[in-house]
Amino acid sequence: MTARAAHKSIRVGDDGEAWIEAYRCDACGAVVGEPTLACRNCAIRAAPSAFRVAERGMLYSWTVVSRSYPGVVVPFVSAIVDLDDGPTMKGTLRDVDPDTLASGMPVAVRFDDAGGAVDKEGAAFVGFHFVPAGETL
Amino acid sequence: MSEVYVIGAGMIPFGRYPDQTPAQLGAQALLLALDDCGLAVPDVEAIYCGSTFNAASMIAQQVLKQIGQTGIQCINVSNACASGATAFREAYVAARSGLYDVVVAMGAEKNPKGMLQGVGASDGPNPESLFGSVSLPALFAEAGMEHAAKYGTSIEQFARVAVKNHHHSTMNPKAMYRRETPLDEVLASEMIAYPLTKLMCSANVDGAAACVLVSERKARELGLDRAVRVAGSALMSDPFQPRNPMLIDGNSVTRLAAAKAYEMAGIGPKDLDVVELHDCFATAEVLHYENLGLCGDGEGGAMIDSGETALGGAIPVNVSGGLLSKGHPIGATGVANIVEIIEHLRGEAGARQVDRARIGLAHVLGFGVGIGAACGVHILEKA
Ligand SMILES: [Zn+2]
Repeated sequence: MTARAAHKSIRVGDDGEAWIEAYRCDACGAVVGEPTLACRNCAIRAAPSAFRVAERGMLYSWTVVSRSYPGVVVPFVSAIVDLDDGPTMKGTLRDVDPDTLASGMPVAVRFDDAGGAVDKEGAAFVGFHFVPAGETL
Repeated sequence: MSEVYVIGAGMIPFGRYPDQTPAQLGAQALLLALDDCGLAVPDVEAIYCGSTFNAASMIAQQVLKQIGQTGIQCINVSNACASGATAFREAYVAARSGLYDVVVAMGAEKNPKGMLQGVGASDGPNPESLFGSVSLPALFAEAGMEHAAKYGTSIEQFARVAVKNHHHSTMNPKAMYRRETPLDEVLASEMIAYPLTKLMCSANVDGAAACVLVSERKARELGLDRAVRVAGSALMSDPFQPRNPMLIDGNSVTRLAAAKAYEMAGIGPKDLDVVELHDCFATAEVLHYENLGLCGDGEGGAMIDSGETALGGAIPVNVSGGLLSKGHPIGATGVANIVEIIEHLRGEAGARQVDRARIGLAHVLGFGVGIGAACGVHILEKA
């Protein structure tokens, strides 16, 4: 059974490999996270083209969530990350001391099992989170 | 085209009304607004009613079931937290068009209890904490942290917004909290999403507010003594921004709406005497000082520190107590903010009266999380 994407931007190949997909306007270069009929930015009547997103980027903004909806385990870092080739993604930033967070900090995408969730048929899910990437490539 | 005046304004005290329907709350606010200008239900030619959670159940018609089914045009509006401002905008357009002489803009809401969840579903596992947070406090915390990273804004500066607005509400008999909260108490209250503590998040309440708008012809017929002119009106949606919707963006849409409203009114931010802006979270107020041009970019933190935006300062902001302390009944907020401005322009705001207020601005911002934004800006001037 192929694992299912737990996030609308995740794609899973037949071999089980996961990646993040985004869409770029061929006319103006604007990047969006979901398919659209025309470009959100320049309104040109051509659908932005899908591309596989880089799995590295920089932390742009964040918060440490200390209270959430009932049943959600806190605290966690909600992070907004500018990925290297255009798209901005929101995700949970793990393995980090919240006191060391700073805008511009390099981070990497890590695919995961979405907390071990399975659907009604027993298929696993694929999720992602961010981790600090250090200063080197 | 006709000038448009507001001649009647009313709101019920904000709080919890477990035994009343949203329409019953709305009907009471509407009667207050009619009594305020000496008109009666049969004088009203159209109703525009904002209610984020009840527009789909024809709340305006339900209001008329409470007070008189006159058969008039009813428009029900849901536009997130901008629902009330949208109703006011549409009522303004109707009166300005010349088709109507007397129209009502109102908002009525009973908020769901607990932390309000943004729109957005998934057939997989709960995305909250797997993919960051979509809770509204988290989104406005992230917007505040963007400002902090750019300009060095501190948690104490954001917290001072709550101190100020909770102080203001002690002078507003219709506000929810009405209790002083010193800085150390705001900072020590439960942390929700850094830098937002519980006292820096808006008060979840029920409420309703209403305004009677009339054409210039009708205003002159009835007398302009207590009338307030709608000098500027703008309602805009979020323009493209590369990080939208991952980073909540109330900045670009507010700037768009403010520019339009200022241009229409032929004034600038320096001409304002009193402002009610959308302080759904304390971080938002600091951002909106800049978005509305009350100070320059990056100066919002210094502005709250200076005391300029407190009652008695150069440009008092959220003297009602704001959403933080007066309360935020989602679809009613946009009308309630306008009612507050009107009370100041009339010199009827009691203990919290802004001295010699002549021109005021009301700003409201609505979000569908991950979907879009709506911003209403109205500029009102004593007739
Ligand atoms: Zn484009």
